[in-house]
Amino acid sequence: MIQVEDITKRYGTFTAVDKINFEIEEGEVVGFLGPNGAGKSTTMNMITGFIESTSGRILVDGYDISKKPKKAKRQIGYMPEGVPLYADLTAKEFVTYMAELKGVKRKERKAMVQKALEDTGLVEVQNQLTRNLSRGYKQRVSLAGALVSNPKVIILDEPTVGLDPKQVTEIRALIKELEKDHTVILSSHILSEVSQICNRVIIINKGKIVAVDTPENLEKKVVKDNSVYVTVEDLENKMNSIKDKLENVQEIRLVKENDDNTKKYIITAEEDVDLRKHIFETFAKEGITIFEMKKIDATLEDAFMQLIGSEAEIEQEEVENEEVLDKKQLKEKKKQEKMEKKAEKQRLKEEKKKEKELKKAEKKQKGGQE
Amino acid sequence: MWTVFKKELKSYFLSPIGYVVIGILMLVFTIFFYLTTVAYGSVDLGSLYSYGVLYGLIITVPILTMRMFAEERKNGTEQLILTSPVSITGVVLGKFLAAVGVIVIALLASFMYFGIMCYFGTPSLTLVLVYMLGFVLVSGAGIAVGMFASSITENQVIAGIITISFMLMSIFLPNLGDEFPDISIMNFYQKFPYGLVSLAEVVGAVAFAAMFIAFTIIVMQRRKLVK
Repeated sequence: MIQVEDITKRYGTFTAVDKINFEIEEGEVVGFLGPNGAGKSTTMNMITGFIESTSGRILVDGYDISKKPKKAKRQIGYMPEGVPLYADLTAKEFVTYMAELKGVKRKERKAMVQKALEDTGLVEVQNQLTRNLSRGYKQRVSLAGALVSNPKVIILDEPTVGLDPKQVTEIRALIKELEKDHTVILSSHILSEVSQICNRVIIINKGKIVAVDTPENLEKKVVKDNSVYVTVEDLENKMNSIKDKLENVQEIRLVKENDDNTKKYIITAEEDVDLRKHIFETFAKEGITIFEMKKIDATLEDAFMQLIGSEAEIEQEEVENEEVLDKKQLKEKKKQEKMEKKAEKQRLKEEKKKEKELKKAEKKQKGGQE
Repeated sequence: MWTVFKKELKSYFLSPIGYVVIGILMLVFTIFFYLTTVAYGSVDLGSLYSYGVLYGLIITVPILTMRMFAEERKNGTEQLILTSPVSITGVVLGKFLAAVGVIVIALLASFMYFGIMCYFGTPSLTLVLVYMLGFVLVSGAGIAVGMFASSITENQVIAGIITISFMLMSIFLPNLGDEFPDISIMNFYQKFPYGLVSLAEVVGAVAFAAMFIAFTIIVMQRRKLVK
């Protein structure tokens, strides 16, 4: 349905999208996943023909988007990021305008507009101006505009951003409905959403495709070893020597020391065995109290984080926290310094006063002598 | 093209803009109807339309054109148009014609002066139609410039200022002296007030408008590459 071949988009020296290749079959629901600025929107904008790629080729239903834009664009319904609407039109007028722009025939127009309004649950608000609608409804109007011409491909750029949880579920259900007779591409940085709706995920980072696979496979890729989180109170400091007493353990790593004197560790097993029972028994014998124990399950989130190498990001956050601390300390230091300076000034003033008084006294004395 | 035309024309009258533009033009017409036609006891409406061109278009053209593309770019609605299977030429022409349409509506309303004159004498309908033809051509040239200004920025105010300076320049440059280049759109309304349809003026106005429409189309097509 959609073939993207070696697409590159450059802005000056900055490469937003770098030689991306993928193919989307008919009837698929594909999710673009990536952190902000990864090139998701740019890629979508290129598929819809809103921007031209620097090099490469995009085919929509066999039509080249830059050579036969009209035919290619007719196959696409697009809901742009940020939900742009014409504020002075009502919901129904907007959807009708979109139908006209998409070239829906006059005879079918009314019925198709009505169907799009019904599908998106807009019938009660169809005569309200779009500017007066709530964010959730605006999103639906935009979606109705994308659906109205019954295009083969529907492209949704962050369809659930800024919605409340109930609206999010509704929109997701709607997208699920679309799956039946459309090819859907959506972008998101919410992982749970993508794993729920899509049957294939394309992870993009820094303009490059990092992985293309089903959500399940991506999760499997990450689950390599069997690890357990334990939070313990270790009054006698036995954790250092505990490794010898546990079997099958590859590594024990301290993650965090909590304020309440407990410590959090990751314990990794050598093989694919469940360590929890063993840990529980051994720790009890050694007099280490377990506060919390949890098996680490790899989620799509972990896959995502691992793939885009977000360890660096986490480190950055920590550094930032430290910086914040530093700033606080600096402020306090400055305060102290100020106080000290004030105190000094006062001292100086007092000294001057004394000097003056002394001088006066001397003068008086001199005057008295004369 | 007609889809865009219909929607844009409707938009002008969903917002106050359409009414404001027609109101201002009617105000200018009425003032000069009194100052020229009524005060001199003449049946001819030539000076009414020629002052209308001179003073009416300064403000109304920028008001009509400043939001054309700037607003769409700012709100992101240009994404909707540019990802639809309509050609950019169609979009630009549709918007241009809608703005000209507002002027035409104002001119239709100005038939009332012709009606009033009919009561007192026998004014020539052909002459009035010639005045109006000139009026439409000149405002088309102005609107094309304004539209181009609107397509190069996403700030409506900047677009408005560029257009209003161009309109002011059109009025004052010819009076400043020969050293200044003669790029006034008022040049296209020199013979119309006398009831003459000059080929030079018609072709001039149409070519001028066509040039700026073409510029706008080029700018919009280039956006695809630059954005």
